[in-house]
Amino acid sequence: MKKNVVKKLVSIVAVGSMTAALLAGCGSSEAVAPAPEPEAAPVEEEAAPVEEAVEEAPAETAEGELPRNETLYFAGQQWGTVASWNPIGTNQNNSMAIAGGSSGYRTLVFETLYMYDPLSGSCKPLLADGDYSWNDDQTELSFKIKDAAKWSDGSAVTGDDVVATFDIGVEIGNTCGSTFGAYIDKIEADGNNVTIFSALTDDGKPVNPLFVVDFLTGTPIAQKAWIETVKDRNGGDATSILNDPGEDFVWSGPYTKYYADDQKVVLIRDDNYWGQDASMWGSLPVPKYIAHTIYADNPAGQAALQAGEVDVCQQFISNVQDLWEKDGLPISTYYEEAPYGVCLTMPTAWYNMNLPVLADNAALRKAIALAVDYDSIIANAMTNQSPTFSDVPRSLMNPTDGEQALYDHDAVKDLQWAGNDIDGAIALLDEAGLTDSDGDGYREYKGEKISLNAVCPNGWTDWQAAMEIVAAAGEKIGVEITTLYPEWDIYQTVFVDPAQTEYAIFMWSPEAASPSNPWHRVNQFLGSEYVGVENNWSGNWGQYVNKDADEIIKKIPLTTDAAEIKDMYTELTKIYLTEVPSFSLMYRPSLFHAVNESVWTNFPSADDGRGIPPLDCTDGYGIAALYGLELVQ
Amino acid sequence: MQGYRKYFTKKIVWFLITFFVAVTLNFFLPRLMPADPVSAITGKLAAGNADAKAVQKIYDRYAEEFGTNKPILQQYLLFLKNMFKGDFGTSFSQYPRSVSDIISSAIWWTVCLQLPAIIVGWLLGNILGALAAYIRKGWDKVLLPITIFLSNVPAFGMAVTLLVVFAIKLKIAPVAGGYAFDQIPNFSWAFIKSVISHYQLPFWSIVLVSIGGQAIGMRSMSIYELNADYVKYARFLGVKDRKIVGYVFRNAMLPQITGLALSIGTMIGGALVAEIIFSYPGLGSTMYAAITAADYPLISATTLIITIMVLIVTFLLDLIYGFIDPRVKAAQFDN
Repeated sequence: MKKNVVKKLVSIVAVGSMTAALLAGCGSSEAVAPAPEPEAAPVEEEAAPVEEAVEEAPAETAEGELPRNETLYFAGQQWGTVASWNPIGTNQNNSMAIAGGSSGYRTLVFETLYMYDPLSGSCKPLLADGDYSWNDDQTELSFKIKDAAKWSDGSAVTGDDVVATFDIGVEIGNTCGSTFGAYIDKIEADGNNVTIFSALTDDGKPVNPLFVVDFLTGTPIAQKAWIETVKDRNGGDATSILNDPGEDFVWSGPYTKYYADDQKVVLIRDDNYWGQDASMWGSLPVPKYIAHTIYADNPAGQAALQAGEVDVCQQFISNVQDLWEKDGLPISTYYEEAPYGVCLTMPTAWYNMNLPVLADNAALRKAIALAVDYDSIIANAMTNQSPTFSDVPRSLMNPTDGEQALYDHDAVKDLQWAGNDIDGAIALLDEAGLTDSDGDGYREYKGEKISLNAVCPNGWTDWQAAMEIVAAAGEKIGVEITTLYPEWDIYQTVFVDPAQTEYAIFMWSPEAASPSNPWHRVNQFLGSEYVGVENNWSGNWGQYVNKDADEIIKKIPLTTDAAEIKDMYTELTKIYLTEVPSFSLMYRPSLFHAVNESVWTNFPSADDGRGIPPLDCTDGYGIAALYGLELVQ
Repeated sequence: MQGYRKYFTKKIVWFLITFFVAVTLNFFLPRLMPADPVSAITGKLAAGNADAKAVQKIYDRYAEEFGTNKPILQQYLLFLKNMFKGDFGTSFSQYPRSVSDIISSAIWWTVCLQLPAIIVGWLLGNILGALAAYIRKGWDKVLLPITIFLSNVPAFGMAVTLLVVFAIKLKIAPVAGGYAFDQIPNFSWAFIKSVISHYQLPFWSIVLVSIGGQAIGMRSMSIYELNADYVKYARFLGVKDRKIVGYVFRNAMLPQITGLALSIGTMIGGALVAEIIFSYPGLGSTMYAAITAADYPLISATTLIITIMVLIVTFLLDLIYGFIDPRVKAAQFDN
């Protein structure tokens, strides 16, 4: 009898704890479900519409399900839980709402003045009305705000909002302030008319007009009244303002927050969005919800794309064509054939000039670069999602027509190489006197075996495959190159250290596309202003110095004559291809753009004649895609 | 009784010393990694920023905010002071979220996944082991080898196999996440059903792997006990078989309870594989992400939870042993 009691007790405890745990699990989902977060909304008037919009939404979906034919699902943009919705804060980890992509700002919730279009290299007006204009000496840039532009609380977007956005940025040192503070002196507004004054050098010339234009496409404008509210509630303290969660944000874009937790973030369309005015889009974006499940890694996101749970996937997918050619899935990319996407950047191997063997021997640098089998990198690591260096010969430019037209191809023809030129590399090394004198199969410099490492972060598989091919090239020309794959947190600590001697050849990508490119990228490749800078996230990670290049680089931003600019870029290309301080291994899209057309269709494609860049329907002018989407059924 | 009190006072003192050492290691070990999380957080914000001076300013601001520019001992004392207030600071990798916020939203997923899985695995394993020892025949020859085979499959192998077979090939289970991609958490049957279906694969991937280990332990303990002198003596006395089995299993259970308690104590780290492979939210994957990002505050807090849980469980075990096994109690009294 006693034993039965014990048995019963044990089973009750066990079942009870399991049930409690299960219930707690469900409960916890509820606990993390923030719903409208009314407590975060202060009493200010402008916050009211936010609450309304967010609170009314759940009522529309009583079952808590997002209707499939009203929701556009994403993968590959949001990793980890959203930290904040504050457009003037920092580190929001809120990729769907606040993200400055390397080819255009994401304008789903907060909007920029202009949208960048990397296909045409142009700025298309968003909050701004018509084109901007410079005065003759590029010290003042003027534009007008659209009359129709409104905030979510119904008030008009004005020039004062632009001024307040810049001023608070400089005051607290947020992304806007730290990125543009050195190039913009001040912004003034008269109603809807705005003038940006370039920061000037001692001789009265603008510091860099290219970055002033970057401000137009790269800064989300926040509402002045809301900025004041945030300042007041944080007592003007910069760190508190930067870290304010901004849950009561006022937005001007077509979407706003609907739901966010550890597993997903969902935006809902604002049906009062000003952009449906004829002066902008003329209609609302088609999907009512924008949802992004937070996947643990790329394979999980890809599996969801294949299962039709994701419509737009911003992830590198190895052999993406197999998805439709072999698996018969309704998945497509911007181009039907390789390279499938628009490549805007070029992952590059940087030589560490802190190592004398590399700093002293341009022949060694060029020989390794000549010997690398780029076709193999592009075919294997990139699965042909990059033009080859025979298709687009190497230079300082990305493969877009706009940038390719910026240098004289014939003038640098003899300096370019397509790779796998083992004989040429060997001849170059022999000629430079870098020979194998002790017969161990490896060449020496000053009596010591040349031994280098090729480094990239662990788990970045396409880069790792590229580094293996670089190492193999070394073997063929008698230069020992071993691969090294540290974890990311260690890698980033070392490669931004200007004095590091641990990594000899290491990978990083320069800037992709923006109004300040290709100048910004060229400065990253050749400009010495970043040499010796601590925590160097800015450029020239190999610490290469060339005074001639510096002079030309300085002149370009202040030059307006197209022919002169072309000459200067040609000269810089010559220096780059002769000196080889780094060498690009492939071209690469800044955003991958694979779409599953089982629910939605009419995504941008190369032959649709619409000229919408494949930027995931979210970035820069790529957002235009949202207005043309159609349901399959 | 006095010996009993003395025994536990001594135990508590040792636990406190262990706790202090563990906390110290929790603080210093992550900081020995050759990685600079302040640089990483700066890079997130300023990668590609053309103005190098502005980038340096950002770096200095974060170094000041996180206190990484202070001497390490000063940082340690601050950490101790804040820890006792329950404040683990701000996470590096999920800045500006506080560590407490991250843990409180992740811990329930782990507890709900691990606790039932550990208990079910333990119960099934012990029943199977006991039956194998007592009934032998088919149990011992067929079922036990199968469970031993399963338990020898590495946790990640089991998780990947279940994922490929049931989610990708047969498509009868979801691929990833804690609930369906088209759901928003709410008290509806559809949502609960979705949570349960997403629960299955991670749950069984843990249970299947743990059954075998428990079964082997229980089987050998039971066989040992079944051949013990007291069993033979009881049989000579004509004590009923059921009664004898009761005694045998009570004795055989003792090490099994230790195993159960330690599994519960370390469950936070144990959930790592299942959580990562099934993209299941929880503290295991949070800890993994924290380690790969050198997120000191988050690493220290998660490892502290494991430390505290193991210490509490070990302490409780000592107490419970006394009740389960009078021999242990006698030993504690003697002490």
